[in-house]
Amino acid sequence: MLILFCFLVLLALICINVPIAVALAVSAIFGLLATEGIDSLVTVALDMYDGSTKFSLIAIPMFVLAGALMNAGGITDRLINFVSALIGFVRGGLAMVNIGVSLFFAEISGSAVADVAALGSILIPQMKKRGYSAPFAAAVTSSSASLAIIIPPSIPMILYATSAGTSVEQLFVAGIVPGLLGAFGLMFVAYMFAVRYNLPVEEAFNTKRLTSTFLDALPAFSLPVIILGGIFGGWVTATEAAGLAVIAALIVGAWYREFNFRHLKRAMLDGGMQTAVVMLLVAASVLMGGFLTRAQVPQQLAQSILELTSNQYVILAILNVFFLIIGFFLHSAAAIILVIPIVIPLIQAANIDPVHFGLVVTLNLAIGQQTPPVASVLITSCAVARANIWEVSKVNVYFVAVLFAVLMLCTYVPAVPMFLVEYFYR
Amino acid sequence: MLGSISRSLEWLLEWVTIFLMVLLTVIVIVAVLFRIAGDSLSWYDEVAAICLSWITYYGAALAALKRRHIGFDSVLLSLPLYPRMLAVIIAEIVVIGFFVIMAWAGLRVLEVLEGDFLVSLTWVPVQFTQSVIPIGAVLFIICELLSFPEYWRMTASGKSLEHAEIEEEVESELKKAGAR
Repeated sequence: MLILFCFLVLLALICINVPIAVALAVSAIFGLLATEGIDSLVTVALDMYDGSTKFSLIAIPMFVLAGALMNAGGITDRLINFVSALIGFVRGGLAMVNIGVSLFFAEISGSAVADVAALGSILIPQMKKRGYSAPFAAAVTSSSASLAIIIPPSIPMILYATSAGTSVEQLFVAGIVPGLLGAFGLMFVAYMFAVRYNLPVEEAFNTKRLTSTFLDALPAFSLPVIILGGIFGGWVTATEAAGLAVIAALIVGAWYREFNFRHLKRAMLDGGMQTAVVMLLVAASVLMGGFLTRAQVPQQLAQSILELTSNQYVILAILNVFFLIIGFFLHSAAAIILVIPIVIPLIQAANIDPVHFGLVVTLNLAIGQQTPPVASVLITSCAVARANIWEVSKVNVYFVAVLFAVLMLCTYVPAVPMFLVEYFYR
Repeated sequence: MLGSISRSLEWLLEWVTIFLMVLLTVIVIVAVLFRIAGDSLSWYDEVAAICLSWITYYGAALAALKRRHIGFDSVLLSLPLYPRMLAVIIAEIVVIGFFVIMAWAGLRVLEVLEGDFLVSLTWVPVQFTQSVIPIGAVLFIICELLSFPEYWRMTASGKSLEHAEIEEEVESELKKAGAR
């Protein structure tokens, strides 16, 4: 009964736009007061401090900062030029370029809005000028930016790994194959549209141009090389890779001579504020988590679902539906922090690999970024394209179907995300 | 008057946040280089975690001043004007109430921690590192109050702060792209 009351308080506070971090903490305080009395309020300070000092989450400000520095350091244009030389000759070439660059670029800085605004502001106007419809341009930008959250570095993956107590490095590796499959799927759909609406090709394939744009973009590739190479090779942890990525971003920015004091200040500030917003949520979740654990809620939930079924695939189906619904209403960070601590005992009891489940959750939340009312990536793309969200969604449904197909594949064929993890780590 | 206080506080919090981000970055990079050189720093984990905590609370106050915390305003904005504004007042009381509790609890904890020092840097009092909780809570309350009039105005006119932020970001990026 008390748990139901706390849940209703949480829901009511979220509905009146109390920041979700505060709503979580306040509903936990109600629970604490009811079960342990007023003296337990000292726990608020202790848990809010402990929650903000989780060492593994230091990777978040580092990746956010590396991404913000990359944004400010002039890599966008060079990446677009390179990817354009690589795949721009295909029909609907600018859509392919958009998908290719998004994979590298989006979600790096932890702020999907900033990334989509930066990339979309360059590509969407170009696409519109070349005869692509505004809703199509917005849909391609939006869906490919969301797919990128399963490709490392990914802030939602770091948050999941910390909440679930699993390896962030393994989760990063698990995202590679589904990410590439999804990208090919999105490109296939874009190609079908391009053929149907006779969208233009860009310049013809030219080896000389490819080589020169590759050399120009080469310093920018240091980021994935450091992150993936370092982690795959087992030389560095995710946090250390993030630190090295910051050095790389600084060197690349200096190499391109595009940094100025204003850029650096803005990068540091955006990084700090994005980190603070996510970390306040994490800290509040520690307060709520402590209360829920003492009340045995996660264990009771696991037991009641396991009494209905112990079939892994049925449990995954139930959780998929749950996460898809929650994706309509919550940002990915908030969804992970709220839900993962509650469902992890169920995952463990059902013998589901937490790394596999982490990828499934992240994919669900990628789809959630495309479903209004809470769909900041979609809304940003629509704002850049000056397109109506409903018109964009009508096109976007085909791209979201690709994300959904990848989700189903990863859920029911665990080998797809896990074989690289098995190869490198087990 | 309120505007100049708000701008001064914003300036101060921005520089504190930037300083802490630079400090954390330097600590992580130096620690990685030392570890690769085979000589790990004993104080790294503890000091970096404290830095993260300080970024959390000083940055959170700054985010409160700019109303950037993650929320959900669709239901609120769909309410008729009077219930909507009543809900806004209730929400502000809840937020401020929570941070009053956090400041009070933080001060109680500081009293208990008197005489404790960090494990790796034995000359640094834990009271100093944990002071971020009461100070951060008070700063959050001040920032929440300073940003309230603008939030009130926006919500009364039925505008979403998140959408306004997106529009602002998009305008700035489109301008940059146009200048290329």
